[in-house]
Parts: sequence; C-alpha cells; structure tokens
Amino acid sequence: MLVMKYCTNISSVSAQCIRSLTSQQEPLKKGDMPIKMENPYKTPPKTCILCNITVDFKNVQLLSQFISPHTGRIYGRHITGLCGRKQKEVSKAIKKARSMGFMSVTLKDPQFIKDPDICGIKHFE
Amino acid sequence: MPRYELCVILKAMQRPETAAVLRRTVETLLERGAVVRSLESLGERRLPYKISKHDSRHTHGGYFSVDFHASPKIVSELLDHLERDIDVLRPTLLKKDPELSQTHCCGAQAEEAKSAASR
Repeated sequence: MLVMKYCTNISSVSAQCIRSLTSQQEPLKKGDMPIKMENPYKTPPKTCILCNITVDFKNVQLLSQFISPHTGRIYGRHITGLCGRKQKEVSKAIKKARSMGFMSVTLKDPQFIKDPDICGIKHFE
Repeated sequence: MPRYELCVILKAMQRPETAAVLRRTVETLLERGAVVRSLESLGERRLPYKISKHDSRHTHGGYFSVDFHASPKIVSELLDHLERDIDVLRPTLLKKDPELSQTHCCGAQAEEAKSAASR
C-alpha cells in the first residue's frame, strides 16, 4: 500500500516538473539578451619597465641601474626582468657608453649608488 | 645625406680655449660640406676612468655633442683630424638611426603572439 502511494506521488511531481519545463520554452523577451561588452576583468598587457622609454648611451644614470655596484658588470635578463629587445638595447648602450668615455667599466658611479633598486638583486652582505 | 652625431670629450680648459676648440672643429665640418644641426654641451665632468692622450693623463673633461648631416666620404678624414687635435681627448662619430616606432614595444608584441597562436 505504502509503496503504491509513493509511486503515485513521484509520478505527480515529475509531471509537474515536465509541465514547468515546457512552459519555459516561450520566446525570450528582447530586453533579456546579454549586453555585448569588452571583458571587464581583462588583465592589462604585460610590459617590461622600460616599455616606451628610449634608451640612450648619454643617459648614464638609467644605464647604471642595470649594472652591479661592486663590479660594474651588466645584469642578466633573469635579474633585470626586461624583455629581449630592451635588454639588448641596454646592453649595447652600456658598452657604447663605456668605450666612448661616458661610463666606467669596473664600477658604478658613486653618485648613482643611492638610486632606487629596479633589479631587486640581493647582494651578499 | 645620413645624419651623424659627434660626441667629443675635450680637455678641461678655460672657457675661451674650449670655445676656440669647438669653433675650429665646427669649421672643419663646414669646410667638408657638412650641415651642422646643433651643438650641445653635456657639461664638464669627472671622467669615468683616467684617459691618457697626447702625452698626459686626464681626470676631467668637457663633453660636447654635435649633430650634423654629412656625406659618408668625410667620416674617416674627420676622425683622423680629430685624433690629431691635442685638445680633443676622445672623439666618437656615430650614425643616427631613424627612431624605431614605440608601438612595437612589449604589450603589442605579447598581443601579436597571442593572436598568432590563436590562429
């Protein structure tokens, strides 16, 4: 007896569900469509720090930020975090400046030692 | 005519003497048919390393930059002339390239790579 009742209850419920599903198949209202817009959660394009900055051999202060203060050696790409193009430009500019007598080879100009650290390298103290 | 930039380091001298050196340098340029665009002073500074030139060791120098248009034939003559000049410590002649468009920098490159990959 109980089993029979349970069966009928289920069948009635399922019938109702089916009815509600079919009723929703009416044509959607025009005001309900999603509005076309640009992705609001878009991440800004990844740029390196020297993006849109011209690198000049005369700008010794800028170039000195990419060399070691102890030895004057140029930092590699994994330290500076520059894109391929800018790293090459900086490297070429530093070598040019050195040969032309603008920048020192073995050390960093003392007046530029206190400049903010771009490369984030930790020197052994 | 291609555009050149001449960066000279002159001996640390008094103002009238520096002016005389610059005058004769620019006159040599003009003699050889160059069109001088500008002459800038980058200041008198301490040299990054001691430069030994013309039998003396120098620690200070005046930096100057001359921008000009000239025929490529005079380049070697000019450098030769400047090397012989006693008051010039280090002459460097560079060709000025036309500036690259900045729009091709990082962000644009990444976008291009993405669109190429998606295709």
